[in-house]
Amino acid sequence: MITCEEFFLEFADYLENRVSPEVRKELELHVSQCRVCQVLYDSSCKTVKIVTESGSFDLPKSVSDPIIDRVMARLRAGPT
Amino acid sequence: MSFLSEVHLDDKFGPFVAFQEALGFVPNLLRAQTLLPRVIEAQAKLESALRLQEGAIPRVQKERILLIVAAERQDTYCVAAGNRVLSSFGVSDQQIDDLLNKHGHENLSAADLACLQFCLKLSRHAPSVHSEDIQALRAYGFEDKSILETVFATALAAYRGTLSVGLGPEPDFGTRKTTSRRVDPPRGVACHAPLPDPHGAAQKRPYLPAPYLSSKTFSIVQKSHGFVPNFFRSQTLRPDLLEAELEAVDRILLPEDVLTRTQKECILLAVSAANLNSYCVAMHCNLLRGLGMSAEEGDQVAVDYHLSTLSEADKALLDFAVKLGVRFAEFSRQDIVNLQTFGFSEEQILECEVVVALNNFANTLQMGLGIEPDFEPPLIPAQNKVHLSAATSRPIERALVTPSLTEVQDPDARLVAEAQGGKLEAFEELVRRHNQLIYRALVAILGDPVEAQDAMQDALLSAFKHIAGFQGRSKFSTWLVSIARNTAFQRLRGRKEVESLDGGEYEEDREFRPRQVRAWQDNPEQCYSKSEIRQLVERGILGLPAKYRAVVMLRDIEQLSTDEVSRQLGLSVPTVKVRLLRGRLMLREWLSPHFTTRATS
Repeated sequence: MITCEEFFLEFADYLENRVSPEVRKELELHVSQCRVCQVLYDSSCKTVKIVTESGSFDLPKSVSDPIIDRVMARLRAGPT
Repeated sequence: MSFLSEVHLDDKFGPFVAFQEALGFVPNLLRAQTLLPRVIEAQAKLESALRLQEGAIPRVQKERILLIVAAERQDTYCVAAGNRVLSSFGVSDQQIDDLLNKHGHENLSAADLACLQFCLKLSRHAPSVHSEDIQALRAYGFEDKSILETVFATALAAYRGTLSVGLGPEPDFGTRKTTSRRVDPPRGVACHAPLPDPHGAAQKRPYLPAPYLSSKTFSIVQKSHGFVPNFFRSQTLRPDLLEAELEAVDRILLPEDVLTRTQKECILLAVSAANLNSYCVAMHCNLLRGLGMSAEEGDQVAVDYHLSTLSEADKALLDFAVKLGVRFAEFSRQDIVNLQTFGFSEEQILECEVVVALNNFANTLQMGLGIEPDFEPPLIPAQNKVHLSAATSRPIERALVTPSLTEVQDPDARLVAEAQGGKLEAFEELVRRHNQLIYRALVAILGDPVEAQDAMQDALLSAFKHIAGFQGRSKFSTWLVSIARNTAFQRLRGRKEVESLDGGEYEEDREFRPRQVRAWQDNPEQCYSKSEIRQLVERGILGLPAKYRAVVMLRDIEQLSTDEVSRQLGLSVPTVKVRLLRGRLMLREWLSPHFTTRATS
C-alpha cells in the first residue's frame, strides 16, 4: 500500500478527480485503511462543496447598482 | 567530420564504453555531440534502456524498427549503422534489402510485419494513429509492454534521425541505398487511414494501462515542470524506459548554461505545433506561462512565432528548429551557418538540435500511446483575430484551430465593438454583466470588501478609458479582470505593507501539512444557516495570504476552470494547482473547528 506521503503527493489531482483509474485504485485503497487520510479527504471534499455553494462575495445589486450608476453618470457628463 | 566541432572525449567516457561493449563501435552520431557531453549521456540512457538489452520484444526486432524508420526518412547514416548492427545479429544482406525495399522479408512472422507497419505509420502519419491500431497489434498477440516498447523504438528512431540530419555525422560504415517502396499494410494496420476526428468519442485514451508508481519516481519532472504530466504517468508499464526519459529531461531541458529554459520551451512549442501535436502544444504553452510568458504570447508562438514579440535571433532559432524537426529534407549545413550569423554558438546550436530531437521523440510517443491532455487545449482566437503569416507551410492552422475553436466567439464581442465606437449603453451593459467578476478580482487582491467596492469605480473608469485598445486577443472578461487587477495593485502600492501575489513557481507549498484530523459531520452545511456559512467562508478566504486567496476566489467562488484561472492571473496551471490545494487546505483548517463532530454536537 502507498504511504501517507505518497497519498498527499497525489491529493490535489484526487480532489479534482483528475487521476487515472490505476492511481485512483491505489488512493482509494489507502483511504480505506488510513483514518487520518480518510478524514483529510472527506473534510477537504466537504470544504470545497461548502465554499463553492456558499454564495460568498456576492455583491448585492443594492451595492453594485449605485456604483455603476455613478460611473455612467460621470462618463455621460464627459471629460471634466 | 560532422557539421559542428568535436572535442576529444576519453574512450573511458561512460556512454562510449557502453556502446563499444554492446555494439562493437562508438557511433559517430555520439561523437558529433562531444561539445556537450551531458547530451550524449542523455541519448545513451535512452538507447541503453531500449536497444542495448533484451526487453519485451527481441533486440533484433528493435533494430529492424530503427532501420526501416531510418530508411523511411532517407537517413543514410542511420541506415548504414542499422545495417551493420542487423548483420551482427545474423540477418543476411538479402533480408536487409527486403526490409529496406519491402519493409519485411519472408522469414518474418505476420506479427513482426504488422509491428513494422505500425511503426511506419507512426513515423509517417503520427496524428492518424488511433486505438484501433493498438487493438490490431493486440490481435497479433502483442502484450502491452511490447506495444510500449514498439512505440518507444519508433520514437527513438525519430530522435536519432533528427540528430543525424542536424549533425551530419560521417557514416560509421559504408552507406547503402535507402530508397524504399511502399507496400500494402496487413489488415488492421492501414498506413493511409483517413485522419480520425481528434476529438472523436471513439478514441479510447490512453491506449495502454499505466500501473501506479509513486510520485517520488517523477521527482525530476516535478522539478522541471511543476507537476507530473500524463505523458510520464502513461509509461509506467516500463519503469526502466521511464527512468531513461526522465534522465534525458534532466540532462537536456534543465541546465541553463547554454540555451535558456524559455528558449528551449519555445523550441518545443514551435516544433510540436508544426508536428500537429496539440497535447505537447498545450503542455509547453503552460510551461511558458510558468516561465513568465503571457498566455496570448504563448498562443502566438504556437500559431505563428514570426508575429510574436520574440527577438529576431530567437525567431531565427525557431525557424532553424522547425526546419530540422519537420521539414528535415530541406535541412543543410547552410542552416547552421545562417543561424551563427545571429550570434548563436556551436554549443547553442547543438543543444537546439538535441531539444528538437527530444521533441520529436516525445511527439511520437505521445501520439503512439494516445496520452490524454493535462490541460484544456489552447484557446486560439477566431481566425480573423490571429496574426497568421502568409506562409502556407504551417499546418498548425488546420490542426489546432479546429472548427470548434475557430467558432469560439466572445459573447461580449458585439457589445465591445459598440462600446469601442463610443456607445455608452453598450459599455454599461458590459459592466453590469461582469460586475461580480470585477468585484471578486478586487477582493481577491485587496482582501477587503469595502475597499474593493471603492476600487470598483476606479476599475470601471479605467476600463472605459482603455477599451479602444482592447484587441480581442483574449476574452473581454479576461481583459476586464486584468484592468481590475491593475487597479488593485495600484492601491496596494499605496499601502505600507504590501502582500505579494508572486512567489516562486512550483513553490514551497507542497510542504504544507494539515493539522486538524478530527472527522467532520456528515452534512456540515446543515449545522448553520446559509448566511452564517457565507460569513464563515468569507472570513476564511479573507484570512488567506493574497496569493492563495486570489486562486481560491477565482476557482471556487467564481468557479472558473483551472486553465481560465491561470490565464486570468498570469500563472502556470501547475502553480494554480499548488496554490489552490494550499488555499483549500488552509480553509479546511479554518472551517474544521466549526464542523467536526465535537464542535457541532
